[in-house]
Amino acid sequence: MAGADAGAAPRGHDKKKKKKKKMRRLGVRIDMTPMVDVAFLLLTFFMLTTSMSRPQTMEINLPPKQDGKDVHVEVAESNLLTLRIKEDGSIYWNIAHDDPKKVEFKELRKLMMQNNQANPKLITLVKIDRKGKYHMMVDIMDELNLANVTRFSLAPMEDADQKILQKVSG
Amino acid sequence: MPKIKKPRIPVRIDMTPMVDVAFLLLTFFMLTTQFRPPEEVQIALPSSHSAFKLPESDVMHIEIAKDGRIFLGFDSPLLTGKIFGEQNRLRAAVEVTTKDLPDMLIHARIANPKLRTVVKGDKDADYGVAEDVMDILQRTNITRFNLVTDMKKD
Repeated sequence: MAGADAGAAPRGHDKKKKKKKKMRRLGVRIDMTPMVDVAFLLLTFFMLTTSMSRPQTMEINLPPKQDGKDVHVEVAESNLLTLRIKEDGSIYWNIAHDDPKKVEFKELRKLMMQNNQANPKLITLVKIDRKGKYHMMVDIMDELNLANVTRFSLAPMEDADQKILQKVSG
Repeated sequence: MPKIKKPRIPVRIDMTPMVDVAFLLLTFFMLTTQFRPPEEVQIALPSSHSAFKLPESDVMHIEIAKDGRIFLGFDSPLLTGKIFGEQNRLRAAVEVTTKDLPDMLIHARIANPKLRTVVKGDKDADYGVAEDVMDILQRTNITRFNLVTDMKKD
């Protein structure tokens, strides 16, 4: 009982005090403006940095090797168009055993289209110098794709090819 | 003749719905953003008109740096840890040699047969290295792969 009394006493005391001072409850209004500012800042940041697009890719199918050996496909020479790309990126083309002729990269698409229209059975062989740059291969393959040339293959450039090119370019 | 001054009504727009939407968008963008993983080497991509998109998961990427070094990386840390050891688990790609590459490719394909191969070459890398890589891919029976390119603007 005594404990209860002791507990009650200060409460009564408080009540008296409150009555005396009559503290008014202040309406707490926090200014939200800075928070919203920051939120918008972050929002714009994330909106601008998000990249929705994934990188483009180019799909390639290689012929499988059988027992570690290339599969040989017989192609009539007259149906074979060879593109040789030199170290500096210049492009030479020939059909069968003709002398290679130089072609500008811009003209390549038209040339490939013309040749493929003239001979739908044409197969393109791309030989790129090992010292050439990777983007040459991508560029050439892109041009071939754009020219709707789907049957092409990459082949290593051999010494014989180098010699042919040297003879042409002098 | 002075007009009778109308008492100006203070315009208070309730901003709450706008802020709600803003926060909603903020959380959306924060959660969907995936920052590009730190790359081992900077690679300047060649550009093409191809419109294939990079597959999202199960990707194995072979990177060819400008100086001809070759890196191999996987999109899942689990597989990276399996192939390159636990200490390299969190790395995006690990340098490999043309000698080790075939074995690693085969092991990776055994660990995850759904793996898709992506070749990411620097546009100024030597074609010879790319030729070697493609030869290795062909020898390990990965005859279908993608080359990562940028979109050509024209």
